[in-house]
Amino acid sequence: MADIFVNMGEIEVVRGEGVLITVGLGSCVGVAIFDQERSVGGLAHVFLAASRNGLGATQPGKFADTAIPALVDALIRVGARRSALEAKIAGGANLFPRLGESTLNVGKQNVAAVREHLQLNAIPLRAEDVEGNKGRKMTLYTKTGIVVVQSIGEAPREI
Amino acid sequence: MAGSNKPTPMELDLLRELGNIGAGNATSALSSMLNDRKLEMVVPEVACLTLPETTDLIGGSEAPVAGIYIAVSGDVDGHMAFLMPIESAHQLVDSILGQETSEFDDMGCSVLEEVGNIVITSYLNALAEMTGLMIIPSVPGLAIDMAGAIWSSILAGAAILDEYITVIKTAFSSEGKQIAGHIMLIPGEDGFERFFKILLGTDNG
Repeated sequence: MADIFVNMGEIEVVRGEGVLITVGLGSCVGVAIFDQERSVGGLAHVFLAASRNGLGATQPGKFADTAIPALVDALIRVGARRSALEAKIAGGANLFPRLGESTLNVGKQNVAAVREHLQLNAIPLRAEDVEGNKGRKMTLYTKTGIVVVQSIGEAPREI
Repeated sequence: MAGSNKPTPMELDLLRELGNIGAGNATSALSSMLNDRKLEMVVPEVACLTLPETTDLIGGSEAPVAGIYIAVSGDVDGHMAFLMPIESAHQLVDSILGQETSEFDDMGCSVLEEVGNIVITSYLNALAEMTGLMIIPSVPGLAIDMAGAIWSSILAGAAILDEYITVIKTAFSSEGKQIAGHIMLIPGEDGFERFFKILLGTDNG
């Protein structure tokens, strides 16, 4: 099966053996949720913490509060069990540290919102690679639930 | 929501004209910085693009780029970024420092930040001169990273949910070398409507 690229604000799920990739995670957070035994996995590329302007309904993948329930629903539709879901997350960096904690550090807010909504949906967070000052590429292998994270100029790391 | 901030063809023409004036300003500022080294800058095109098109323009989401970001406040608010493919950033730094660099050290980063600052503020000066509006640029922030990571961080920081982004393509040439760069113009909540109204003579108050 060909690798599937998940763009900003998108949600993709795969049953069986598949590779889901999202690139260019800056302040955005990549959320991987999977049912390992059933080999069902999905990935969302979350842009902001909370939905606004009524966009949560039309573009749920953009916001942490709508992306996580939408991803869970999509996973259950293709055979995952709610009680077996686990999550791994990556991203939420601040690429412009010199500009301080102000406007551009939405990364931290995104990470906090993703953790909160995983908890609200009773999904255990198994691993994370978040914050810092570097952009990330995140790959989910749906058969195993393995997530690989890579930043420019660094070796890939498995989480 | 989609396209609410999408400029009309006439507005795009205006932005290009402003781009040319800004490029003129930037060229003279850069020339003095370059000690007579010849660096020219042109604005060949202005386009209104979707986010994926914008990242494609700079080589795709995963492509390494140098990005300089400046927030704009004053009579209008908005965000500007200057993005260069990493090869172009190297060529620019090399031609300014007069030596080959493989990694960006503090000096290289300062050069990039300053060039981005000059390019963006030259453009803002052109806007301010033509409209009489007060425009205040923030300090520049520099990131060298994946294009998608830089670009989406800027958009998220600005809470931009619009589907269209106005992009002013720029090109430098230095002693026969072509150096590419792109100025991104992201209007704030009130958009650049106010500019257009003033520039097109439709501002009734």
